[in-house]
Amino acid sequence: MAAIEMEGLVRDYPGGLRALDGVSLTVAEGEIFGLLGVNGAGKSTLIKVITTLLRPSAGRVRVLGRDPCREAVAVKRQIGVVPQENNLDNELTVRRNLEFHCRYAGLPRRLFAPRVEQWLETLELAPKADARIMQLSGGTRRKVMLAKAFLTAPRLLVLDEPTSGLDPAVRARVWAAITAFRARGGTVFLSSHDLDEVERLCDRTGVLHDGRLQAVERLAGMAARTDRVVEATFRRAVGT
Amino acid sequence: MDFTLALLHRHLLADLGSLRLTLARLVVQPAVYLYVFGHVVGGMLTGGNGPGYAAVMGPGIVAIAVMTAPFGAVGGTLVSGYYFRTLEGWLLAPVSLRQLLAAKVASGVLYGTLSATIVALLVWAILGLRPEGLLLPLALAVGGSAFFSLLSLVVLLLPATPDRGQELFSFLLMPMTFFGCTFYSHAMLDPPFSQLALLLPTTYLAEGLRGAYAPSQPHLATGAILLGLAAAVALLAPLAAWSFRRRLGDYLW
Repeated sequence: MAAIEMEGLVRDYPGGLRALDGVSLTVAEGEIFGLLGVNGAGKSTLIKVITTLLRPSAGRVRVLGRDPCREAVAVKRQIGVVPQENNLDNELTVRRNLEFHCRYAGLPRRLFAPRVEQWLETLELAPKADARIMQLSGGTRRKVMLAKAFLTAPRLLVLDEPTSGLDPAVRARVWAAITAFRARGGTVFLSSHDLDEVERLCDRTGVLHDGRLQAVERLAGMAARTDRVVEATFRRAVGT
Repeated sequence: MDFTLALLHRHLLADLGSLRLTLARLVVQPAVYLYVFGHVVGGMLTGGNGPGYAAVMGPGIVAIAVMTAPFGAVGGTLVSGYYFRTLEGWLLAPVSLRQLLAAKVASGVLYGTLSATIVALLVWAILGLRPEGLLLPLALAVGGSAFFSLLSLVVLLLPATPDRGQELFSFLLMPMTFFGCTFYSHAMLDPPFSQLALLLPTTYLAEGLRGAYAPSQPHLATGAILLGLAAAVALLAPLAAWSFRRRLGDYLW
């Protein structure tokens, strides 16, 4: 079964802006797919449609075999999301943010308590566990959002520029966590500005430009990676 | 149910985190109103200890608490959730919009009832007034909180953008606070003001509470008020649900 399927996906905003214009794409289960595009290309809109926040104006979308509009709860139960902008609860501490995320998902404490500790350690958040979100730097907030995405053991991770603002050491840990997630059978849909990140992590990459998916390339094999195929694809697609 | 309890717990923790602000809102503000208007001004009006005016405005201050607490707990958290993106986090939780709506209204009812209880205790402590029974004020506090929770959703979500919703909200808050028979009884008004006051929901709530505190004083019929409140909640609930779906089902807000 495909993890994500979309056919002729269109999304219009009030005022006539067409953010997505006939996007068709299939992401297989167990794949890491990288979406590239300049600002305003439609990446975040596409991610919002996949994660049930926005409805398509036309076309068809299936996420893990389900319709994100009609079966939103079932879709949300199986995905972990890192949106582009911080959506953490500023009034709570790091630990409380992670705990409430699990409680909102209906997980029992005996299940989520060890996971919270594990992700606090993995992303080096333990020393900041009792700090309020407002007291954290942008990079640390990003790590809390990443921990949230992994916590509920989703089948699909949807990550909108997940490592922006992170230092190289933490970025490497996040990449390792994403690779380990895929090794356990998980699927990752990743949007990024970082060509290096896409090259290192992704099996395939697509370039979104003016709401249209311009190119999809397979990145299997080191040769392709060292040839900087991603950069070439990106430049070709956006015409620079 | 788990989600509702989790969200209630989250709101309580957030309020405990800013305890001074919460105490100022829940205790200090109504206590100052009660002291100044009930004790001092009330004393001047009657030339003595002023039980007459105090009996009129005490229940009115409880009514204001029943209105403002759900406005903060439902409308306020929705707006701050929009600006700080916490709302997006709630929308990504694996619950339906209906469950999220129910959880928000439940938090409004809890906060409204809790706030009314605190203010009722202050009325007792400062003005020496207490209701003759508990059932009627409790029914009015719960029903009124549900009504104002739903109203805050409709007022905030009907306009196209949150800032316009906030404008409408502020526009309505002032007349409901001051012209909704909170600081005077409906019997004190002459037409056309007595008729205009009937357009405001706080009038019915304040008058119902006057019936609970001093049944012998003139007030609107409490039975009719309770029936009207139930009908208003029943009518407002689908409108609030529709506004909620319209704005948050396709999250453009």
